[in-house]
Amino acid sequence: MPNLSRRSALRLTAGMALGAALPLAGCGRSNDTAATAGAKKVDASPATGTVNVWAAQGDADVLGTVVKPFKAANPDVVVKTTLIPNAEYYTKLQAAIAAGKGPDIAQFFPESQAQFLDSSTLLPVPDGLVDKSSFFTSLWDAGVVDGVAYTVPWYAYTYALVYRSDLAKKAGVEAPKAWADMEPFLKALQGAGAARGLGADIGWDIFNGQDVAMYAWQAGGSLVTSDGKWNLNTPQMAAALKYNADFFTSGAADTSGPTFLDAQPYFVSGKTASMITGPWVLGQLDTAAKKKGWTSAHVATAPLPAGASSSVTFSAGGTWGVLAGSGNADAAWKLVRYLAAPSTQVAQYKAYGSLPAVITAWDDSAIKNQPLLDAFFTQLKNTRAFPQISTWQQVATRLGKEMEAVAKGKETAAGAAANIQAYAESVGTGRK
Amino acid sequence: MASTLAPATRETAVAPKAAARRASRARRTAVAWLFLAPFAVVFVVYTAIPTVAALGLSLTDIRGADLRTPFAVDFTGVENYVRLFQDDTFVRDLLNTGLFVAVGVPLTMVTGFVLALALNSGVRRLRGLFRTVFFAPVVTNVVAAALIWQYAFHTDGTVNKVLGAVGLAGPNWLDDPNLAMPVVVLLGVWRNFGTAMVLFLAGLQAVPQDVYEAAALDGAGRWRQLRHITLPLLLPTTLMVSVLLTVFYLQVFDEPYLLTGGGPLGSTESVALYTYRQFGAGEFGMSSAASFVTLVLVMVVSVVQFRLLRSRT
Repeated sequence: MPNLSRRSALRLTAGMALGAALPLAGCGRSNDTAATAGAKKVDASPATGTVNVWAAQGDADVLGTVVKPFKAANPDVVVKTTLIPNAEYYTKLQAAIAAGKGPDIAQFFPESQAQFLDSSTLLPVPDGLVDKSSFFTSLWDAGVVDGVAYTVPWYAYTYALVYRSDLAKKAGVEAPKAWADMEPFLKALQGAGAARGLGADIGWDIFNGQDVAMYAWQAGGSLVTSDGKWNLNTPQMAAALKYNADFFTSGAADTSGPTFLDAQPYFVSGKTASMITGPWVLGQLDTAAKKKGWTSAHVATAPLPAGASSSVTFSAGGTWGVLAGSGNADAAWKLVRYLAAPSTQVAQYKAYGSLPAVITAWDDSAIKNQPLLDAFFTQLKNTRAFPQISTWQQVATRLGKEMEAVAKGKETAAGAAANIQAYAESVGTGRK
Repeated sequence: MASTLAPATRETAVAPKAAARRASRARRTAVAWLFLAPFAVVFVVYTAIPTVAALGLSLTDIRGADLRTPFAVDFTGVENYVRLFQDDTFVRDLLNTGLFVAVGVPLTMVTGFVLALALNSGVRRLRGLFRTVFFAPVVTNVVAAALIWQYAFHTDGTVNKVLGAVGLAGPNWLDDPNLAMPVVVLLGVWRNFGTAMVLFLAGLQAVPQDVYEAAALDGAGRWRQLRHITLPLLLPTTLMVSVLLTVFYLQVFDEPYLLTGGGPLGSTESVALYTYRQFGAGEFGMSSAASFVTLVLVMVVSVVQFRLLRSRT
């Protein structure tokens, strides 16, 4: 800009900034109008038109095969599925929704979907579309805000204790039932030859935060008060942080490994003897051991040991929601209803190994005849949903970092509980 | 831009009338703008407007959930900036970034300069090969490089194996809050010294040889030649390299993100990483505020460097 003096350039910049800020200042938040449950009922007539489905890569990879019968029964419907890499999924979905170019149906993750549960983004699940009591309670609850359900559960998982049965047998120990049994159990596995009793997660991120939150529940704590305020600076939270940190300070686990990619090789080679993890590892351990049948000969599973209150865990998995901007909501709900049916969820299990969110689907012989899944089934019936608060992911991420400080002796459990409460209050609950 | 064109032609113009001069000047300005237009359009659409929008966003309480209705948010003034500086993590990340700049920039420049000197006057054979080898890290995919570094600095990694061979017990580099930062800075230096080297080399080759000959005749040794001829004549290059590197290190992201994820205990988390995390959490207001703080820092530091070094160039 040759003829522009520095002063006028500054003035121009300031003017542009003000111009950008003014329209914002003029608008402001309007009071949210509460969604009304019980939208138009979805009948049994065949679905028609085009239904655009967005899902994250992974469990949805087999969607094409799984919805074939639906397409056959509804010849006038076209289902278009778009798969998006997991790491970019929410970002792309958010951008598409913001631009008004979202799909009709989108997949969500019950452990991290709170930010979408709003009548401006999702349609409430129509009355009578599905029977909510047919799902694991916590998975249904994960989609409910202020009494309105926005998502329908699709697949489910939770954490359980996966350990080396051969080492446990050698040490003569049984799976721990309570927190106090955990350390002796892990030490016994070390005595039987493992370098570390537990291959603990050392990512110090949202997943650690979720673990600590789950331990706080087990100790009898709650994450939010009944009137929706953060309730993290509690003795139960401190107990949870200490319980998790003790794995490291007692030498049962190591803060320097195994890292995420090493977890299975370490477990298979016997460097670590147990993991607190999800059911998918059961299908991957044979590959890690490079030996078919290794898992059934070397691995056992058990529900997590109970804290002062219970052995409750969190539920995770996949859910479906129909977007508020959908032009074909009727057909979209019909597809969601189909995906929530027990037979569809069994087909999904057979195609990809996704465990059903519908309880009765677990009666199918394909699932029932797998003893290693029993602990996960028991555990899934004893799960809770994370708070339906849009800032929960931020808080859980910070909680994971606090966990690192406690595990490495840089912070006390009580101090970390106070820190996480202060942080949570500073980010708020996302509601005005 | 137009003003730089003017002096060259002014001398050839023989006493033109004022009106004619104005007309030709206007035409030249128009032509200059025409040439500038493609850049100007891209700059305004992809840099200026987003920057101003980000400034606007940083003054509101916008979050991920507001994306459908981006104008239905509250104007909160400087609240995000206040929150930012009240957040211990952000302050820590600012200090970490300061450390990246304070250690990374001089280290990169010295390494680049020494290698450039060596290539310019010391090495005669295989000069092209050395230049290529030293420049290779600049064009190496940083994701792959970071992965290799991760293995090298692992507890049982190459570095510790070498240390073990000479009887030293190596630490767990990337899990030690005091050692992780030096390793991350080192990756930054490794990645950037090639750029510094090539720029310095170009600067060195532009220094006329006869100046050195004159100095040698006057009895100046290599060291005095370096101090009184090479370094002063390289000041413009030094300024450019230093500004480029400072801007890079102030926005350092890849190295900590890939090597340590900002850990252990947040000891390698940079402001850019903080901004990214806030954005990922849907805190668009806070994220915009943090990126604006970075922008202001880049501007202030660059202006200071220009003031310090320009007067002598």
